[in-house]
Amino acid sequence: MNNETSKEYLRFNVVERIQHVILFTTFLLLTFTGWALKYPEQIVEHTGWWITMWGGAKTAGLIHRAAGITMLLDFAWHVLYLGYSLSTGKMKLRADTTIIPIPKDVLDAVKNFLYFFGLSKKKPEFGRFSYIHKFDYWAVFWGMGIIGASGFFLAFPVQVSVIFPSFTVNWIWEVISIMHSDEALLAIVFILFWHFYNEHLHWDKFPMSMTWITGKITIDQMKHEHPLEYELEFGDKKGADK
Amino acid sequence: MRRLFLIVLLWLPLLCFTCSASAETFTCLACHSAMKGKIRTEAGALINVNVDGEQYAASVHGGFDCLTCHKQLSTNPHEPAKTAGIPKNVASLAGKIPHKAKVDPIALAACVECHDAAYDALQQSVHGKNVIDKKQSDGALCIDCHGSPHYITPKNTAASMVGKKNIVKTCGECHENEELAKKYNFGTHILERYRESFHGKKYIIGHPNAPTCVNCHGYHDVRKWDDPKSPVAWDNRTETCGKCHKGATKKFVTAITHKHIGKDAPIPYWFEKGLIVLLLSVFAFITGHVILEAISEIRDRIFRKKEGHHE
Repeated sequence: MNNETSKEYLRFNVVERIQHVILFTTFLLLTFTGWALKYPEQIVEHTGWWITMWGGAKTAGLIHRAAGITMLLDFAWHVLYLGYSLSTGKMKLRADTTIIPIPKDVLDAVKNFLYFFGLSKKKPEFGRFSYIHKFDYWAVFWGMGIIGASGFFLAFPVQVSVIFPSFTVNWIWEVISIMHSDEALLAIVFILFWHFYNEHLHWDKFPMSMTWITGKITIDQMKHEHPLEYELEFGDKKGADK
Repeated sequence: MRRLFLIVLLWLPLLCFTCSASAETFTCLACHSAMKGKIRTEAGALINVNVDGEQYAASVHGGFDCLTCHKQLSTNPHEPAKTAGIPKNVASLAGKIPHKAKVDPIALAACVECHDAAYDALQQSVHGKNVIDKKQSDGALCIDCHGSPHYITPKNTAASMVGKKNIVKTCGECHENEELAKKYNFGTHILERYRESFHGKKYIIGHPNAPTCVNCHGYHDVRKWDDPKSPVAWDNRTETCGKCHKGATKKFVTAITHKHIGKDAPIPYWFEKGLIVLLLSVFAFITGHVILEAISEIRDRIFRKKEGHHE
């Protein structure tokens, strides 16, 4: 057992880690350079230096576009990589390891809430990805679709206007602007609360989980947080220990 | 050394010219820069009789004699109008706008002497026609947008009412005025919608290429949108938008309407409401979850020490 606690399990490979670093770097850049457009009057009045810090409105706009395109490319890379990994069998679809939401996740969430309220003595047992991770992950997909697409439309309005049917032209740009700005706020708040709490502020993880750099978690932590995946990977050893 | 002295000496008169006005101006300013407050004219209008000499000298018109524009006020005390010696174009224009001038229509019309192209354009505009043809006294003429001619500064200065920094506010003086909106039947929400748009937001945060009212609607010859000569008239829009958006098509140029979100645009209105519901539900779920989890973690550490710990 003691021997085992020092061991680590590779949770994310180097490609996945690079994709994550690009994702959060561009996310932060987009947030910082886009924020002024969300509340322009208040920003100019109280924190004008923020816009100056990003080189003025024009430069901030260019950074925003560059970061947005990089993020979309990163996203495309991730999706292609997933497709490749699945097709070559490097990644297998299993209920205990998949990121795809399954009915068990709803059950886990209910169980977890019961535990929070003290109505249940036991926390739910998670696989490779808990419902918390899945929510975090698919929120990014949602954001890519909604904010990424609308951002792309807003960056190339003349070219994009060709694809919209005539009956939409009177309101589509309003819808796109609202989409981009409201969903961006949602993404920022989501990251601030959900991701920051679960991966940074959490009792076990403060100031942050180092998995994003090393890709590894300790076996001990794995047993604690991902018991079903541990069972799957090291089931025999565990049996031997007993 | 002598040469240096000579150079300084040669520059001196020029320096005097730039920082002061003529002797005649000093005569007027002797009283008018000291006079404070307002007086009531015979016609009953309250007028400000004070002229800030320093600010006047710093303005674009600072080198002018007062009489360049106030052609009738050469005597002291100022005698009633004499038309002799007044250029024809100024006199004819002054005759069209007496209802607009509180005190000196000649001075108000005198702009045309130098700025005749701008005045010609103005007379064709919705603003000019309103004052000159329809005889409205609350319509816009030169000074309503440019401010007092005594204090006009170049349009790239921060003080300029028609420079990029202040032009939207200047248009808003009338176009966000409820009374005028009712009288002339225009909406006061136009500027609000502009400020909410990407154009407006970029303008507010100081983007150098962001368009203001005048970039699309024109300025001296501004026309109503349904006037075929207006730059935002349907047939001219592709060209107007094309100034920034190369290759703008008919389909593209319908994007900007300044319409109210709501009655006139139900789809964006309900779409936004839907998104707000989504946002609030997600916020409620994630904050609730995070807070409850944090509380349960603390509870586990403090009251259930053994259970909360790693195996």
